[in-house]
Amino acid sequence: MINRRSVLAACIATALSLGLAACGSRPSEKAAEQPSDKPLVIGISLPLTGDFSQPGTEARRGYEVWADQINKAGGLLGRPVQLKIVDDASSQDTVVTDYTKLITQDKVDLVLGTFSSLLNYAASAVAEKNNYVFVEPAGGAPNMFTRGFKYLFFAQQATAPHQADVFVNWIKSLPADQQPKTAAYPTQDDPFTKPVIESMQKQLEALGVQTVYSSVYPPDTTNFQSIASQMAAKKPDLIAQGAVFEDGVGLVRSLKQLQYSPKMLFQTSAPSNAGQYSSGVGEASTEGIFYTVSWHPDAKTPRNTDFVSGYKAMFQNADPAEDAADAYAAAEVLQEAVTKVGSIDQPKIRDWLHANSVQTILGPLSWEATGEPKGEFLLGQWQSGKAQIVAPAAAATSDTVVNPKPGWK
Amino acid sequence: MAQFVQAVTLGVLIGGIYALMASGLTLIFGVLRIINIAQGAFLILVATFTWWMWRAIGIDPILAAFITTPLMGALGWVLYRFVVVRIRGQAPSMSVLLTFGIALVIEGFLNVVTGNRFKSATPSYFEESFRVGDILLPKAQVYGFLAAVAVLGVLYLVLTRTWTGRAIRATSQNPSAAALVGIGATSTAALAFALGSASAGVGGSILSVLYPFFPASHYDWISRLLGIVVLGGMGSLPGALVGALVLGLAETLTATYGGLQWSTLVFYLVIMAVLLVRPQGLFGARLREDAA
Repeated sequence: MINRRSVLAACIATALSLGLAACGSRPSEKAAEQPSDKPLVIGISLPLTGDFSQPGTEARRGYEVWADQINKAGGLLGRPVQLKIVDDASSQDTVVTDYTKLITQDKVDLVLGTFSSLLNYAASAVAEKNNYVFVEPAGGAPNMFTRGFKYLFFAQQATAPHQADVFVNWIKSLPADQQPKTAAYPTQDDPFTKPVIESMQKQLEALGVQTVYSSVYPPDTTNFQSIASQMAAKKPDLIAQGAVFEDGVGLVRSLKQLQYSPKMLFQTSAPSNAGQYSSGVGEASTEGIFYTVSWHPDAKTPRNTDFVSGYKAMFQNADPAEDAADAYAAAEVLQEAVTKVGSIDQPKIRDWLHANSVQTILGPLSWEATGEPKGEFLLGQWQSGKAQIVAPAAAATSDTVVNPKPGWK
Repeated sequence: MAQFVQAVTLGVLIGGIYALMASGLTLIFGVLRIINIAQGAFLILVATFTWWMWRAIGIDPILAAFITTPLMGALGWVLYRFVVVRIRGQAPSMSVLLTFGIALVIEGFLNVVTGNRFKSATPSYFEESFRVGDILLPKAQVYGFLAAVAVLGVLYLVLTRTWTGRAIRATSQNPSAAALVGIGATSTAALAFALGSASAGVGGSILSVLYPFFPASHYDWISRLLGIVVLGGMGSLPGALVGALVLGLAETLTATYGGLQWSTLVFYLVIMAVLLVRPQGLFGARLREDAA
C-alpha cells in the first residue's frame, strides 16, 4: 500500500513538473509497479457437468457475455477483467475445494457465485470465512439467509416465498368484484414451487379468498386427470399451480379435456419456458395464463437489449435463458459496487451493497442485512401467443392485462 | 359414485397403456433373462421420432405406430445380433450394465440431435373427451388404450398360436429342452428381443401424445415399468397386465381419495406387500433352479 501510494505520489509530482505524459513513458517499469495493466481476475466455480450442467452452462455464458462487454468498455477500474471459471461437477465437496483454491492459492481479486442453492450454500461459507463478497445468481432457498452471513448477496429480486407477491399485489389492485372468490392450489413437492404456492395461499386467504382445494403431488406424477376433475367439481375462480414444467402442461391438458377453464390461472415457472410451453398446451390456450419470472428478454430494464444482443452474437444467435440473465445480473451487481467503491476492498464493497440499490437487467436489486433480496419478481402473462411482462410497470412489456382468462380454444 | 367410476375408468385406461409399455420388458426378461434397462429409452426414442414425423410430415402420432413398430423391431434385432449376444450366458447384472449403456447412448443421441427440451405431440384430439353420462373419457387416452389392447392381443396370439411364439415360450421355460427339440437359441432370442423392442414402437407413439417428454425422461419410465414387471412377476405377460392395472388404479384412486403425496408410495407399498407373500411376483413362475 505504502509502496503504491509513494509511486503514485511520485508520478503526480513528476506530472506536475514535466507535463502530463510523464507517467506513461516507461512501460516496463509501469507494468511491475502499477496495477492498471494487470487483469482483474474473478474466480467462479460452476456446475458445468453433472445434474446442474444445463443451468450451469447458461450461467457461464451469462458471465462471459458480461466480461466481454465490460472489457470492450475499458474494463473494471481500468483493468481488463479475466474470468477464472472452474467446474465443480455439481458437487458440494468440489465447490468448496474450488472456491478455497481460487481465494487462497490463486488469490483472485473477486469471486462470483455458483448455481443452485445446494452449491451456493457451501460456497458462500468459504467466501464468508475469507471475507470475500459473494454475489450469487441462483440460490434463493430460505436457509441461505439464516446463517448471519455479511458478505452474501442473492442477485435476484426475491426468494421463493416472496415470488408470488407481485401476483397477490396485482389481485389486491383489482376492484372487489373482479377479485377471485375461491381458489385451488395444487403444487408439485418441489423446493422451488411449494413455498411459492403456500405463501400465496396464505396471503390470498388473508384477503378473503376461500380455499376450495389444495394438494401436494409427487414429482413423478404424470397423470393429472384426477386432480383436474376434483378441482373442476369445486369450480374455483383461481387455480394457482406450483408447476415445474411437465406437470404444468399436464394439468392444462387435463383441464381442457374436462372443459373447465378457471377465470384466472397461475403457474409458477412452467409458462416461462416459452416455446416448449406453448407447443405443449396449444398456443391458443395459453391466452391469459399468469406466471412469475426473474427476467424477460424484452423487459425494459437497463442494458437488457445489450445483454440479449451480446448473447446472440457470442452464441450462434441462440436465445438467452433466464439462468444466463441471472448470472449477468450478479456480475452487474459486483461491477456497480466495485466501480462505486473505486477499489476491490471487500469490506467496502460489502458495506456499499448493503446501503445501496443496483440497477440490473432484472430491474433494481437491494438487500436485507442477511443478503436476502428486497424486491419483487416480474409478473408474466401469455398474450396472443407471446409471453409478456405485465407488472411491475417499470419492466412491463405489455400495458394490458387479460382478465378474466378466456375459455380454452 | 360418479367420482369413483371416473377414477376407476381412468385408472384402467392408464393401466392398459402402462401394460403395453411393460410388455416388452417382461417378454425380453422371460426369454433372455435380460433386464432391458434401455426399454424406457426405446420409448423416448420412438416418442421423439413420432413427434418429429407428426410435426414435419403431419402423420398422426398414434397411427405412426405402423411405421415405428417395424423400425423398432429391426433395431432390436440388430442390437441383439451385434451387441447383446455378446453377454449371453453371463450374469443378469451384465445385462443391466449393457442395456443401461444403450439407454445412455440413446439419451445422448437425442440430446445432440433434438436438443434437451420438452416435446409433446398435440394432434387435434389430444385435449378432447368422450362424454358417457357423467364420465369423461379423454380421447387420447381412449385411443392409446385401444391400441394397447390390440397390440397386447396380437402379442398374445403370436405367443400362443404360432410356431415362433411357441418357440419363444419354450426357450423361456427351458432353454436346454428347447434346444434339444431343434429350436435355434440365438435366432429365437434375437426374435424375442426384436418383438420386445417392437412393442416400444406402439408404446412410444402413444407416449408422445399423452405425456410431455425430453431425452432424460426415460429414467422415470423405466423405474415405473420395472415396478410393474416386478409386481406382476418377471417374465409374465399377464403379470405385466395386472401389475400395470394396479399401478393405474393406485394412481387415480389415491389421487381422488387419499392425499396426492401418497400416490407413488401406495404403489410401491403394494409391491412390497406382494413380494413379502410371493417373492416371485403375482404371476411369476418359480423356476426349478430357484427351488434348488
